[in-house]
Amino acid sequence: MSDGDGAGRGSAPPFVVLEGITKRFPGVVANDDVSLQLRPGEVHALIGENGAGKSTLMRILYGMYPSDSGRIVIKGEEVRIHSPRDAIARGIGMVHQHFVLVDPFTVAENVILGDEGGAILQPEESEQKVKELADAYGFQIDPHATVEDLSVGEEQRVEILKALYRGVEILILDEPTAVLTPSETGDLFENLRRLRADGKSIVFISHKLDEVLEIADRITVLRRGAVVGETTPAETSKAKLAEMMVGRPVLFRLEKPEVEVGEPVLRLEGLTGGRLRDLSLDVRAGEIVGVAGVEGNGQRDLADVVMGLRPLDAGRILLDGEDLASRSTAEIRNAGVGFVPEDRHEQGLVLGMTLWENLVLGRQDDPPFVRFGVLSLRTIKELARKLVRLFDVRARSIDVTAGALSGGNQQKLILARELETDPKLLLAAQPTRGLDVGAIEFVWSQILEQKAAGRGVLLISAELDEIYALSDRILTLYEGTITGEYPPSAPAEDVGRGMLGDVAAQGAR
Amino acid sequence: MAITATAPPAAGSGVKTRPEWLERAIGQGLALLLALVIALGLGAIIILLYGESPLAVYGSILRASTTDKDGPAWVLSAATPLIFSALAVSVCFKGGLFNIGVEGQYLVAMVTAAWAALHLGGILPGPLLMWGVLLFGILGGMAYAAIPGGLKVKTGAHEVVTTIMMNGIAVSLVAWALNNPLRYTNAPVGQNVDLRTNIFPAHAKVPDLGHLLGYGPAPRLSWLFPLAVLAAAIVWFIVKRMRLGYEARAVGASVGSAQAGGIGIGSVQMKLFLISGALAGLVGMQQILVNNASTSTGGYLPQNYEATLGFTGIAVAFLGQNNPIGIVFAAIFWASLSRGESILPIETDMPREFVIILQGILIMSVVITYTLAKRRLERRQTGRVLAEEEVVAAQGGPVEVGEALS
Amino acid sequence: MSKLGFAISIAFTYFTIIYLTGLGGLFSERSGIVNIGLEGLMIIGTVSGSFGAYYFGAKLGWSVPAGPIMGLLLGLACGAAFASIHALATVTFKIDHIVSGVVINLVAVGLARFLSTIFFGQATQSDPGQPHLHVISIPLLSSIPAFGRAFQGLSPFVLFPFLIVFPVWWVLNRTRWGLRLRSAGENPEATRSLGVAVAPLRWEGVLISGALAGLAGAFLSVEIVNNWREGQTLGLGFIALAALILSNWNPIRLMGAAFLFGFAQAVPLALRDWPIIRSIPEQFVNMTPYVVTIVVLAGFIGRVRPPAAAGKAYEGTTT
Repeated sequence: MSDGDGAGRGSAPPFVVLEGITKRFPGVVANDDVSLQLRPGEVHALIGENGAGKSTLMRILYGMYPSDSGRIVIKGEEVRIHSPRDAIARGIGMVHQHFVLVDPFTVAENVILGDEGGAILQPEESEQKVKELADAYGFQIDPHATVEDLSVGEEQRVEILKALYRGVEILILDEPTAVLTPSETGDLFENLRRLRADGKSIVFISHKLDEVLEIADRITVLRRGAVVGETTPAETSKAKLAEMMVGRPVLFRLEKPEVEVGEPVLRLEGLTGGRLRDLSLDVRAGEIVGVAGVEGNGQRDLADVVMGLRPLDAGRILLDGEDLASRSTAEIRNAGVGFVPEDRHEQGLVLGMTLWENLVLGRQDDPPFVRFGVLSLRTIKELARKLVRLFDVRARSIDVTAGALSGGNQQKLILARELETDPKLLLAAQPTRGLDVGAIEFVWSQILEQKAAGRGVLLISAELDEIYALSDRILTLYEGTITGEYPPSAPAEDVGRGMLGDVAAQGAR
Repeated sequence: MAITATAPPAAGSGVKTRPEWLERAIGQGLALLLALVIALGLGAIIILLYGESPLAVYGSILRASTTDKDGPAWVLSAATPLIFSALAVSVCFKGGLFNIGVEGQYLVAMVTAAWAALHLGGILPGPLLMWGVLLFGILGGMAYAAIPGGLKVKTGAHEVVTTIMMNGIAVSLVAWALNNPLRYTNAPVGQNVDLRTNIFPAHAKVPDLGHLLGYGPAPRLSWLFPLAVLAAAIVWFIVKRMRLGYEARAVGASVGSAQAGGIGIGSVQMKLFLISGALAGLVGMQQILVNNASTSTGGYLPQNYEATLGFTGIAVAFLGQNNPIGIVFAAIFWASLSRGESILPIETDMPREFVIILQGILIMSVVITYTLAKRRLERRQTGRVLAEEEVVAAQGGPVEVGEALS
Repeated sequence: MSKLGFAISIAFTYFTIIYLTGLGGLFSERSGIVNIGLEGLMIIGTVSGSFGAYYFGAKLGWSVPAGPIMGLLLGLACGAAFASIHALATVTFKIDHIVSGVVINLVAVGLARFLSTIFFGQATQSDPGQPHLHVISIPLLSSIPAFGRAFQGLSPFVLFPFLIVFPVWWVLNRTRWGLRLRSAGENPEATRSLGVAVAPLRWEGVLISGALAGLAGAFLSVEIVNNWREGQTLGLGFIALAALILSNWNPIRLMGAAFLFGFAQAVPLALRDWPIIRSIPEQFVNMTPYVVTIVVLAGFIGRVRPPAAAGKAYEGTTT
């Protein structure tokens, strides 16, 4: 399963040696005596759960944090890296998981920022240079285009160009495929192979084990800040890697409950507005419908429109036959819709408020919790205690602020709140983004329970793993409309094509 | 619905278990103390530069508001409008809105109250007139606040700029009112009087409180002070215990989450502006409805009304950290400093403006120390929770994960 | 017609104040720091500018134009110095930008009084005898019959905004510093990740805003009214904010916006006797600048796009 022969190049002296790197944050040891070697002409994968310390380690290498102890040796010379500028000067470049591009600037401006080559800018010259660089590596990009208008795959190329422009020899990619379609991932891997052939050393941080096995020459596994294993694709398997990552046997088994599917709970007809163009779909009782798509094709607008957070230009939203299209969010929620938003900080929780205050959000109008406009604190706190216990939210007390919880616990809090009202339809958008394996498993089982209870679930996700694991029917979303419908047995390439709007024989809905 | 059954955080997991509210209170108290120390310290430096003794100067100020004749009465009566003003600002601020227009709102309220005092005297007997006048003041403030509120809700116009513009308009409105509908009609023949309204009927005014406590009439300590404290208690209750307060705080902390939770943002914002305007309306009542025998003011609306109470209210709100209880104390503290202002040039060589500088430094240091303390507290909370997570995660059992089709 | 011309000449002077202050706000906000304390910064500019002109011009006897120019420079310097408090609060301590701006405005009033006692021995106004620049008339334009009144009797400083508008545009869009400043305001993460420190850029943006607002204030007290009086800024700092929003944070469009608001200022001062205006009670005419500002804000707010990271504290880790 490994790609290319790393053996010959593996004997070259390492570019970078990290020895005994330790880094502590308040209350947590992010990196615990980690040692690692990066060789030229090699793709080195760094895997681990969220919070395992992979990003932290690379950020130390990139000069964003100082390590508490340990040394960094570059080409045989021990160095201290004080800032990203230092790191770049030493030939280390990093492409972050969340792109750091200035939207209103052009591609060229983004690439040259920080290395403009003089106090006065020369736009034409810069664009020329960027074009030449891109062509040298076979990247398709227009240096004059504004970043705002680019696709995600193109934005990633700009990020890589930023590093190449500065002549880096070590390129760190943090979860690069998290936001790509299968075919864009293929393009990326092509580019990485070319860079490897050019003698670059590539660090590939990921939690997607299939891809790691495909592209990496060597794999290092981190768990809770420490190195627990180093191997090559030939010597390992997905199951073994997963076990190393999590530290306990991981059982790749999923039980989708057998449920008889009933009438449509939710029917969306011809939704148009924002990024949506004539979008139609339905979700039946006892069914999970997964909407797969690359970020930026209308997912956010779809969720916002169904929840009444965004006005519709045209279309109908029918919940059990009732049209909710121009209703307020409160009315929609009261009609029986639960919402797990993709951004739990901006749309889910009020971080500055306590757990019990967050758990009553959306119910503060309802009788047991409020009387004559006055909140009934005792009833609310009772509810909060019950939910925190039931959903195993790890917190010292219900008076802790929501912002102090880990991502997994925050998501549990949101789920607890939304499911407590027993909604007819659960709308879950990117529900496991940024969560570790244990939390992911919890969220998935909650969603499956909804199905088992005969409710409907509309799942919007950019993670194909998740879509496949949970959905009874898979729909692809591209440029604001549904481009295809697939059963869970369909191969990923087909779904991938639907995500790109490349609809073949399959009928579009 | 329960899944993984692991033990809850053990009591002996190595972290102190102090209740959250106590943590917060201690943190805030320390921050306030630090701010006070910084401000007084910087003030002392300025005093020394003037060649005076900090102890003497601070002592003077302290004496003026405590042991001097009528001192406490002056302080409490000066604090009264500040409490209303600061409450008005803080109500909006809880919801993330900046009502800088308290200034204009109380000016308009004075006009509406004056109108009521002059025209409803025949209809409302006895103390009813006074309540009627106060009500008109409240309504005037509410109506005037509804304008920038409505603009914010309907068009998104930023309330900082619109409320300041409304302040400017209000000044002209008062001037117009004094020149036209409310013009002084009883001027004695041949006398040149300042532009003002007629005198209000006696039963429109708010009775004096000072004499009940042994103070003279000069400081104008009236029943408006207890009313102000009551208003603070009401605001506390609304913010902490009522649904509106809850919704306001959610909107102020995270608009997106509040909206997704079903809270009607526009309706909450509008209600906040109205309550704020109502409180603002009461700010000017003391100067027109309470008699001041020594300066022969009170009982009418003069051209040279006292302005800037709106802006000072903002300062007091920040000083009291937008907390109704804190505001009452902050208003009293601020008023004592201002009382010291008039004493300073008499007893020392410091210019009275020193007090203004001291107040300025105080606001800045309070805002900074409080924000830093809050942030530090949050970071410690997060760190502690993550540490506990580590402990519990170590006790995990087998995990089931779904497998994607390859 | 010549009434209109007169009104326009007044509009020019207020345009200068609003433009410079707005431009200051532009630099600050493009770097990512919202500065609503422009009014307070202007106030500091008024009192120190007045003092500078008085001290150098009257007390030390320096001849015109040196005296007034010293006033303008002193206003600029003091504005920048006072703005450093806002920079410290927002960039270093990451205080909410609006809160800090409100504090700046509050403190400025008291500080101005305090400075006034030091400078002039009295709290609310300056001493007489303050010099100002000789007024000029723009050569060709002032000879236009009737309308030419618009270009007569102007302070030469009115030309300043016209002289700097293109250099400002060029600096923002064609220099390295300008690119970096704008990126700090749009996406500080991106800036930081490329090794460019965000904090110094934001400090620079805020200090410039203080300098320009201070300069505008000094222009008001030195050139237009020839003295310092408490409250003479009349909310112009906030009107400048509205002009900035209307201009979509663009230095060239800001000229148009500033002139619109400048003209609104001129209406109550010069066009009181005009046909329709004559029948409106004078106090309502006085409201014109404020009403115009509100109408503009309410009408145009949806169509503008502020710098993406303005108003959000950048929680950088190392620098």
